[in-house]
Amino acid sequence: MSNHTEINQLIDHLFRHESGKMVAVLTRIFGPENIDLAEDVVQDALVEAISQWTYNIPQNPTAWLYKVAKNKALNVINRDKYKRKYQSDVIHFLKSEWTIEPAMDYFFSDQEIADDQLRMMFTCCYPAISSDSQVALILKTLCGFSIPEIARAFLTTEDTINKRLVRARQNIRDANIPFEVPAGEELDKRLDTVLETIYLLFNEGYSASSGDKLIRYELCEEAIRLAEMIVSHHAISDNSNTAALLALMLLNASRFASRLDRDGNILQMQDQDRTLWDLSLMERGFYYLRNSASANGISSYHILAAISSYHCSAPDFNSTDWNSILSLYDKLLLIDDSPIVILNRTVALSKVEGPLQAIAELEKIKDHPAFKQYHLFYSTQAEFYIQADQYPDAMNCLEKAIRLASIKAEQGLLQKRLNSCKEKIT
Amino acid sequence: MKEFMLLIRNEQDHLGALSKEELQHFLQDCMDYINKLMKEGKLKSAQPLVKEGKIISGSKKSWKDGPFNETKEIIIGYYHILAKDLDEAIAIAKDNPELEYTKHARIEVRPIKSVEESVNFQYPRGS
Repeated sequence: MSNHTEINQLIDHLFRHESGKMVAVLTRIFGPENIDLAEDVVQDALVEAISQWTYNIPQNPTAWLYKVAKNKALNVINRDKYKRKYQSDVIHFLKSEWTIEPAMDYFFSDQEIADDQLRMMFTCCYPAISSDSQVALILKTLCGFSIPEIARAFLTTEDTINKRLVRARQNIRDANIPFEVPAGEELDKRLDTVLETIYLLFNEGYSASSGDKLIRYELCEEAIRLAEMIVSHHAISDNSNTAALLALMLLNASRFASRLDRDGNILQMQDQDRTLWDLSLMERGFYYLRNSASANGISSYHILAAISSYHCSAPDFNSTDWNSILSLYDKLLLIDDSPIVILNRTVALSKVEGPLQAIAELEKIKDHPAFKQYHLFYSTQAEFYIQADQYPDAMNCLEKAIRLASIKAEQGLLQKRLNSCKEKIT
Repeated sequence: MKEFMLLIRNEQDHLGALSKEELQHFLQDCMDYINKLMKEGKLKSAQPLVKEGKIISGSKKSWKDGPFNETKEIIIGYYHILAKDLDEAIAIAKDNPELEYTKHARIEVRPIKSVEESVNFQYPRGS
């Protein structure tokens, strides 16, 4: 029944875009200790939509959905037997018939919806919640992802995700926090956490896909959307880190289309078709990069965005300005000397000073525990050996990498490199 | 205590001109007004009337039903209150936020007859 698929698609689309907004508004109304209630009400509205729209799709499906959610919310509040405690300061407006209608109109106005989504972001990123749980909660409440979808995105089980969500909601309940955007010093600290969470979300989508390509890209889109909400909001005056993060995400996203070949295997940068790059995303990225300057110093987002911009502005791989990229990595090391940064720097180093220097650098850090199971360490090492014409060593590294690589798309690439090494030896 | 009906008359879109801040204050003032009356035991019931419905006229021979909002001013709701006398009922009406926040609010204050004295008839009231 094509009508049925049409309705399901419409509902999926609406759900993605509107459920986050509705959950945010309802969380404002019921209070953050009742996030699960807000989610339930929205879910009920969706179920009603599915059953009713089979007969007749309304003229304005979005308005219909909101109206149903509003009515269900009112039913919940008016139920005498419902023993929930509402800490929310706005609930009393919904208890008198005289103030219900104007209050509901007010709560569901565009401005309030926008504000509530921001409040939701800060609530989900409450410090007591683990960062895995923060991302899961944001995906569930703000981005309209289902538990199976989140589990697939994180390559874990639905049970794990469910536990994280339950814990997160309990943390919020225990913390008894108001539903608001923090102010002053508290805002700066919490904003850092929000940005970290968004970046985590983006990287989940950015790292190699396991065949669920569509869902992974959606994670990146959600991350960008959430960051844009922050950067354009009046409540937050210092936007430089958010703008830098946005620049980084947009510039990286602009190069997505060229990353995989037609079989879904990852292509090395030198083999990527740059005509597939999305210039409008790139332009938006450059816009935010230009507007991310700040008197308060730069974050790692600023530097990573600048590095990405050098890749974006190179017409081809060989024209890439590796010198500038290397000096940016040097700057990055001053703020963040984590092993991953050191590893990524060696790639730039190999371009500027040659593969032997890079190999020497890797020797210094090869015993770091972070690299034991990290296939990219070995594949990077392999590339340097290949550039230095040391094929047996390269093959050694590639075999280690293949054993550690968990994702098909990466294994495909590694296997190809291994085969071409074998050819060089024979 | 005697019973009075406050009929709130206003334009259909009486809150349309309020800004976001004004609407918030209006809602708060409404809640305060209602809560005060309830605490003082002066509110029997109060409800807005939904902005839909009809006005019917004619007879069984031929009915006429027109929209509820044919005129610019409609009844947007009522307050059924208790007060010692008409003066107190008028004072209660004057406190209604509708008057402060909107330009065209008019409140009709009418005593309710609960007993028809001459024949000692109690007018029915719902439970």
